[in-house]
Amino acid sequence: MTDLPGYPSRRNFLKASAAGVALSGLAAQAKAQETTPPVPLEDYDRAYLTAAEWAFVMAATARLIPSDGDGPGAIETRVPVFIDLQLAGDYGTADDWYMEGPHDPDAEPARGWQTPLTPAEIYRQAIPVFDAWCEETHGATFAELDAERKDAALTSLQNGDVALDSEIRDFFTILLANTKEGYFADPQYGGNHEMQSWVYIGFPGARAAYRAWPERHNEKYPLGPVSISGERA
Amino acid sequence: MKTFLRIVAGLALVGVVALLAFIFVPVQRTQPAEAPAADWEPAEGQGEYVLHASDCVACHTSDDGESLAGGRAIASPMGTIWSTNITPDPETGIGDWSYADFRAAMIDGLEPDGTHLYPAMPYENYRLMTEEDIRALYEYIMTEVEPVSNEVQETELSFPFNLRFGIRAWNWLALTHGPGFTPADVPELQQRGQYLVEGPGHCAACHSPRSVFMSQDGVTADEDSFLAGGVIDGWNAPALRGEGTDLAKWSVGELAAYLATGRNAHSTANGEMGLVVEHSLQKLTDEDNLAMAAFLKGIDGDAVDLPESFATAAGAIEVPAADSAGSATTEMLASADPDMPLGARLYMDNCVGCHFATGKGAPEIFPELQGNSMVVGSETMPLISVILNGAEVPSTAKRPMALRMQGYADRMSDDEVAELVTWLRGAWGNDASAVTAADVATVREADHGH
Repeated sequence: MTDLPGYPSRRNFLKASAAGVALSGLAAQAKAQETTPPVPLEDYDRAYLTAAEWAFVMAATARLIPSDGDGPGAIETRVPVFIDLQLAGDYGTADDWYMEGPHDPDAEPARGWQTPLTPAEIYRQAIPVFDAWCEETHGATFAELDAERKDAALTSLQNGDVALDSEIRDFFTILLANTKEGYFADPQYGGNHEMQSWVYIGFPGARAAYRAWPERHNEKYPLGPVSISGERA
Repeated sequence: MKTFLRIVAGLALVGVVALLAFIFVPVQRTQPAEAPAADWEPAEGQGEYVLHASDCVACHTSDDGESLAGGRAIASPMGTIWSTNITPDPETGIGDWSYADFRAAMIDGLEPDGTHLYPAMPYENYRLMTEEDIRALYEYIMTEVEPVSNEVQETELSFPFNLRFGIRAWNWLALTHGPGFTPADVPELQQRGQYLVEGPGHCAACHSPRSVFMSQDGVTADEDSFLAGGVIDGWNAPALRGEGTDLAKWSVGELAAYLATGRNAHSTANGEMGLVVEHSLQKLTDEDNLAMAAFLKGIDGDAVDLPESFATAAGAIEVPAADSAGSATTEMLASADPDMPLGARLYMDNCVGCHFATGKGAPEIFPELQGNSMVVGSETMPLISVILNGAEVPSTAKRPMALRMQGYADRMSDDEVAELVTWLRGAWGNDASAVTAADVATVREADHGH
């Protein structure tokens, strides 16, 4: 199979999963339910993002939480799926936010969400602007750049060196926050696939009962996590 | 030969006549041993109190219906029995019943025209009530209950149970006691408890075993089988006497609190018993709930320690620690060892937050699972159903907080529930049989059908 440029290959995915198994301890992993593997990201049926937006989100999240570090990356944990589903849902449409205005997109960041755009609209408007900037500065759209240039481009975006209108100026902050959310949220929202991030950091998930443990200092809590829907890892 | 044929024909004729007599000769109503004085009047509120103590509302009121207007489906092994309208409506209720008619229903299970009631009506127990209580109940229903016009669905059981005259023979077997109450040789408070338990409370209807003829095996306190545990509609009605029962571990005060509030330090009342607490027991006086608790605790002759009070506001209640029978399971769970069996892992992932590693739960909220009669009962449907669908403990006057356990039908597969239930039935010293995924599937299917 042909790997998409810049994406972790299936082989890397498998390697990273194997690392997750090693980290969580084989016994706990053996007790995880048998699940059918999810649809591969390249065949994923998107709920909100366009093909170009999807390519960008895949490429960007893969650099924000890369797969070649100690733990699982954004791709193995299916963070792009989380972002796509969130943008298609209440978060993307700012469904339960006050959005009537008056809006002051130039307001200090401490004053919160001041743009009239919803999160989904910000992704839709900001990605083409950033891709155009990448073409102009680095000679290709973001997804087509090599890893080093991707990092450089994201750093420019983070530092405000990419000219963005006030309405979409917070795009990097939002993208980074959503990437972290997709990495650590409960798997029912599409990310944190098989609770890999929880296994990696030793978070036991939705168990919420540790009466025997507060006094046991410097002792690793050995039992793997459980998700809200009852998945075990 | 002719003589022989004559004898056969004669015997056949006698048989037919006997059968016709059995079917058509009216049943005699049992007469009272002693009637109240002619000028006797029920005390203020007595009739309504008897109504509560007898839990009439629970059966004679449908889910969305008017109180006492009938129409509730009572599941029986013979089929569905529809409870009747006992409001004083002359057309659809009992408005034109005389006291003698009413008494015959309570004592002999007879309608005014002599038709036999199905023994879903616990006249086996009500016939132990005093004449005064039955009179008070009659007068309350006739004068203070609003008549409600509600035509109730006829009970139509399949053959042979639709032949109501057959109940006549059943009654010969079932009604060997009473009428009227015979107190045991116990202190007065326990006698009062005995009366409430045997008569109006009709506890034996569920908590006594059934004979092969489906009559109550153990109707009065002088029988060893009285309240020795029964099975009703797939639920264990636990034994209320003997070693190893829940009650053997409870104090008189804890038992009285359970009756009055639906909860105590060990357990909570749900299912059928939750309804009994909600509709009946919480409405009785503290003294009467204490009397029943004292009677039950002393039923096998043990000394009864009466508490000064029960179910009083107590502030924080200490959560119990594991005991010796439960310590191995408790330590295994507390170790959080990834090699623990799947059932234990499921307990950690779903149950331990409330019922704790000790399996002892928390007083008045989370029932103890160690030794819990529902957890280790011969009938596994209730435990499986609670895990799949959750459970509810009613709000009561002294403990207004309704308690709700969520269901886990979406969170666990049949295999997983079977692993969990099997593990629970062997944890903390519990010693009960395993269940299979097929058992769970059956319960899941039945609950979908509701």
